[in-house]
Amino acid sequence: MTPTPRPARPRYRHALWLAPLLLAACEGRQSALVPAGEDARILGDLFWVMLIGAVLLWIGMNGLFYWATRRSPAPHSQTLANWLVIIGGILFPTVTLGALLVYGLSIMPDLRATGDGPVIRVTGEQWWWRVEYERADGTTVTTANEIRLPAGVRSTFLLDSKKVIHSFWVPSLGGKMDMFPGRVTEMTLGPERPGIYRGQCAEFCGESHAWMAFEAEVMEPEDFDAWLEAEAADAMPPEGDLAQRGAALFLAQGCGACHAVRGTPAVGRVGPDLTHVGSRHSLAAGRLGTSAEDFVRWVANPGAWKPGAEMPAYAHLSDAQLAAIAAYLEGLE
Amino acid sequence: MDRSDHDRQPHPREDEHEFAEERESLWRITLGPTIWAFHFAISYAAVSVYCFRFERMFEMGWLRAGLIAMTLAMLVAIAWIGWRAFLRWDVRGTGEFSNPEGSAEDRHQFLGHAGFLLALVSFIGVVYDTLPLILLGSCR
Ligand code: HEC
Ligand SMILES: [Cu+2]
Repeated sequence: MTPTPRPARPRYRHALWLAPLLLAACEGRQSALVPAGEDARILGDLFWVMLIGAVLLWIGMNGLFYWATRRSPAPHSQTLANWLVIIGGILFPTVTLGALLVYGLSIMPDLRATGDGPVIRVTGEQWWWRVEYERADGTTVTTANEIRLPAGVRSTFLLDSKKVIHSFWVPSLGGKMDMFPGRVTEMTLGPERPGIYRGQCAEFCGESHAWMAFEAEVMEPEDFDAWLEAEAADAMPPEGDLAQRGAALFLAQGCGACHAVRGTPAVGRVGPDLTHVGSRHSLAAGRLGTSAEDFVRWVANPGAWKPGAEMPAYAHLSDAQLAAIAAYLEGLE
Repeated sequence: MDRSDHDRQPHPREDEHEFAEERESLWRITLGPTIWAFHFAISYAAVSVYCFRFERMFEMGWLRAGLIAMTLAMLVAIAWIGWRAFLRWDVRGTGEFSNPEGSAEDRHQFLGHAGFLLALVSFIGVVYDTLPLILLGSCR
């Protein structure tokens, strides 16, 4: 047999190329199907139960169609028809839906268990996340666009929003919860497997909604404690000429009106707290990386990366000035 | 004076006369769903008010016991309504599943049929409503 060359059907072939990509999307750090926490595991199980159940039902229904139209197309007896309606139309759905209801209700207490770990206040802004850790001694540690959690305990999230509805979701760790202006919603998450996962705003909130993401790092409890301790501290003083010039520029350009860098005169609360921005995994709510280059790109023109970003562009600054600011921010670890 | 029933002059529209309670019966078929609606509203309202205001004042167990008692009473009522409707439908007596003819008797039996099915749905609905009450013992 010689294969006949057939140039037709290019569309079909493209679709085949895409198939592994679709599967690849199920792996990774933002997948509800690769759970890294209790809640995601429960929801993952729920998904599989529903999927397998639906497939079985689909096969069963089509089997019946096949039987009624191909195997036995003659009229059926009245008795058979009556029992089909009573069993297939009343009994079976009642019992199946009842069982699903019991299953759904039985997992609710697990998903809504009270937290025994840190309490974290997250406020949705356009288009970033204000994050505040409430510590046992009553103090608050403010940061932004990144959430770190200890593995093995349930953290409590108190979710709020400034202006419009957002939704807080880390698929690898659990379900999502909407954030409403003026109303605090509560959610707990029990992460289990250390790693860096990705969260995403899951409720359309304006033009840069799709760019409103964040990193969620699950850490060993000791590492988490050490990190929070460091995060609570004031910013490190700039090291080296370039960074020092950057620090001066940061204040002179008025960045401090919107941003706080604790331990400096910059105390603004309009934008994200930048005290330890150099130690983050991403910039501007997951939009950019954290290299000096990324800082320059962002500061020169935020709107180019996030349409509608509520930070003015600083394109009028010279390359040297931008580099200095970037060096300063990158050093804020 | 001792005329037997056979000698009685038949009523000119006997059949209509016999089943003259149709108007009332139309109301009666809504009884099951009405109980279901009240059960839903009362259960959810009671639990929300309790969780909003009175959680600290008394144990939820009391509320649950009260609501489950109410549920049982409502289930008995629905079952009775359903049974009455089943008798009116008279499927066992006539062997007629559906009553398409539109005579007064047919209407009577049809309303029984509909009332029976609505009672069945209401019964299932009330049981489903109650499951959270049994399975979730707290305000969380
Ligand atoms: C009018 C208020 C305002 C001013 C002034 C301002 N910013 Fe911003 N900045 C914001 C807002 C709001 C965001 C968040 C934007 C977003 O992610 O959608 C932001 C984000 C940032 C971020 C990313 C923060 C993070 O958590 O990832 C950096 C870095 C930053 N600004 C640096 C600067 C610098 C440097 C200046 C001064 C040259 C400056 N900003 C001036 C409001 C401001
Ligand atoms: Cu949003």
